[in-house]
Amino acid sequence: MISHLIQDPPKINYIESPAKIDALSDHWGQLVPLASTFDHVDGLFYFTYIVCIFFFVLIAGVLAYSVAKYRRKTWDQPAVSNVTHNTPLEVIWTIIPLIIVMVMFAWGWKGSLDMTVAPADAVQYKAVAKQWSWTFYYPNSKVQSFNEFWVEIDKPAAFTLQSTDVLHAFFLPAMRVKRDIVPGRQGTLWFHPTTKGEYHLFCAEYCGGDHSKMYAKLHVVSAEDYAKKPWDVLKDSTPQEAAASGENLYKQLCISCHSVNGTAGTGPTWKGLFSKQGDNYLGRQREVVTPDGGTQTITVDEAYITESIRKPNEKKVAELPYRNNNMSAFADLDDRRVNCLIAYMKTLADN
Amino acid sequence: MTTHVPALDIHTSEHGSKPNYLNVTKGFKSWALTLDHKRIGLMYLIGVTAAFLAGGVFALLVRLHLWEPHGALFTNATYNQIFTLHGVFMVFIFVIPAIPGSLGNIVLPLMLGAKDVALPRLNLLSFYLWLTGTCFALYAILAGGFDTGWTFYAPYSLYTNQAVVSIGLGIFILGFSSIFTGLNFIVTTHKMRAPGLTWFRMPLFVWAIYATAILQVLATPVLGITVLLVALERIYNIGIFDPRLGGDPVLFEHFFWFYSHPAVYIMVLPAFGIVSELVTVHSRKPLFGYKLIAFSSLAIAVISFLVWGHHMFTSGQSTYAMFAFSFLTFFVAIPTAIKEFSWVATIWKGSIAMNAPMLYTLSFLIIFAIGGLTGVILGALNVDIHLHDTYFVVAHFHYVMMGSIALAFFAGLHHWWPKMFGLMYNEGLAKLACGIIFVGFNATFIPQFIMGSRGMPRRYATYVEDFEMYHKASTLGAIVLGSGVALMVGYLVHSLLAGKKAMQNQWGGVTLDWLSPTPPPLENFDTPPVVTHEVYDYSVLDLKTLQTPVR
Repeated sequence: MISHLIQDPPKINYIESPAKIDALSDHWGQLVPLASTFDHVDGLFYFTYIVCIFFFVLIAGVLAYSVAKYRRKTWDQPAVSNVTHNTPLEVIWTIIPLIIVMVMFAWGWKGSLDMTVAPADAVQYKAVAKQWSWTFYYPNSKVQSFNEFWVEIDKPAAFTLQSTDVLHAFFLPAMRVKRDIVPGRQGTLWFHPTTKGEYHLFCAEYCGGDHSKMYAKLHVVSAEDYAKKPWDVLKDSTPQEAAASGENLYKQLCISCHSVNGTAGTGPTWKGLFSKQGDNYLGRQREVVTPDGGTQTITVDEAYITESIRKPNEKKVAELPYRNNNMSAFADLDDRRVNCLIAYMKTLADN
Repeated sequence: MTTHVPALDIHTSEHGSKPNYLNVTKGFKSWALTLDHKRIGLMYLIGVTAAFLAGGVFALLVRLHLWEPHGALFTNATYNQIFTLHGVFMVFIFVIPAIPGSLGNIVLPLMLGAKDVALPRLNLLSFYLWLTGTCFALYAILAGGFDTGWTFYAPYSLYTNQAVVSIGLGIFILGFSSIFTGLNFIVTTHKMRAPGLTWFRMPLFVWAIYATAILQVLATPVLGITVLLVALERIYNIGIFDPRLGGDPVLFEHFFWFYSHPAVYIMVLPAFGIVSELVTVHSRKPLFGYKLIAFSSLAIAVISFLVWGHHMFTSGQSTYAMFAFSFLTFFVAIPTAIKEFSWVATIWKGSIAMNAPMLYTLSFLIIFAIGGLTGVILGALNVDIHLHDTYFVVAHFHYVMMGSIALAFFAGLHHWWPKMFGLMYNEGLAKLACGIIFVGFNATFIPQFIMGSRGMPRRYATYVEDFEMYHKASTLGAIVLGSGVALMVGYLVHSLLAGKKAMQNQWGGVTLDWLSPTPPPLENFDTPPVVTHEVYDYSVLDLKTLQTPVR
């Protein structure tokens, strides 16, 4: 009866074949736990939920019965009873709820301790939040992934959380974990995934503008798939592949502020940054503002774009409103990815 | 179905034949400069109702926008402004001043048998401060709006390029309005009680307003300081909350919730008071456990200062802080549960009148049971970590703020409406509106509990498609809820134009507010009242004439 609530975590899809999805439900129609945290969170949730339903039915039942039985039929009808108190009853309804909530408290407290301390063998990841994207760092890997990340099944995963601008929160509903990310502090969080699949990661602390688009996808994959480093697959051996990868990166990182069709956004559009003449791409001339307030005219070339990605506020486009908007820096974006983005920008060139 | 009205009942005096507070003087100045608590209360009533309707329109816009997963109406930036406006209007301009400012002002001196509040000029100043604060909020909208959410969390509120300083000043001024009202009511309760009205003969509405007033005076300054610090930080870059300057954003959260958790009780205690009053009058039975309810109000007032950290379980506070805050949060559930049980026990074996105020009260009892119990679910540390900042929390506090406080406000409004105006609204329409509001409210927020428990984060302008069904259901519910409220406003306004005359003691109450003439004259009582019976002693009620004996 209660399986309609918390039990059904939002999953994008299961990697297993459809036949296996049935095996994920037991004969009560409830889903098998997806992560080790389930006992701590869901068990207590059901306990409190059932207690609450009991008290709600009690209250609503007494009310309904009273209204039906003691309803005033004539205007001058007095009350059946004029009792003003009943000490034993009042003691009972103070003590019993007190005992029940103390059980809930102790249960929650114990579970929260267990959920705070990561096991020693947990794989260490890092997640960096900024308005409005996620960057993930892997152990022993120089490559990051953006708005998408991979962990290995049945291995505890521990995350160090950082923010480069405002408050964010790392929320994996399927794993029942959440942690605010405070700029200037490091947060930690861990979970132990036990079921393969793709899951939502939301930013749960309001962070302005495109808060609701600050989304990433978690992949829980098998040991073999994990060993292939799926986050490190970047195809850029040909200009076409690089441009396609660049478009992918654009959709993950840049789309909330920059358009590719000429419309104005928080930042300038990418359409027509270059113009194509034969096989050559010429960057357009642009007036920019430096941090000291001076203006200069530069040519949009590879070096300028690279600088604008890693240190975006050194030379801001002078046109309004862009000169008033600050872009979050992507200081760690590696050369290959920057080049993919440039390759994609060139496909948006004017003829 | 209809209540039998005895022929002997004395109807209210004809307008004009006997002056009452509404018609004793005329003209704009007689209202704008009035020191009469009832007129000030009425001005508050008009003001907070306008704020409620504005906040309600923002809520409907939010719900309509969320009809589509990618957002149906606005850009994300505009949506963020609208949900912020909804929060700020509902919390600071409507809920906090609503019951103390309007019903508290009108009813408290009547219940105490006083001519007015102790400090009438301060009372008028409170109203004008409320008006000034509201004007700042309106100015902030015109000056570009604000998109910080009603919580103004730093550092976003420090960086966003919008009118945060104006709204901060508005809230600072609204805070002083609240402090002065509280101060006034404390002094009034101590000093203005009629002869014979001992502390334990005071109606529970008075106890509730008194406990609220203590919270208003003690907690509100912290909010004032906090918004002032945000404004200073924005203007002078001091480095209090801004991590780039060495400040601490979590400090802001502590400051904010140190006020805003007690503020929840500033909002809800007056609602408890109204419900305590209404269950006894409309059950015609002494309130069960009067002293326990009175003391539980004070207990809540004290403990509520010590639970603010439960808004920050995911913020990374120390495990010891989590221990204390979770423990105290569960502890505050107990006095709240005692109240709910006592109200139910009062209705048990009463003489239950199924009139409009009682229907609103019963709706409150059902909705508040859900609001309170889901609060217990959220108090459990682990469960809260999953549910924090999701729609589950949104639904929980709407069950308390909208479903409980606003419904208690409506209940009180229907209860004292005949007292305030000497006129009755259409009871049939009132019952219908109550039903529509009850159904619409639950239809709006039950889907939010479900999607919240499945991980839908709050303050989202767009959402993943998994949640579309719940959002659509919630939006439909909101439309039903909105139409119920519109109907209520409609028949209440209609009653002022064409309502039937109310009776002197419309519901058969035995507290002093029903002893004063209806509507009351300028100084409330023809002869100063003396209290000789215990509170809620319905044996003194002469059911044939519906008059409490005049002493």
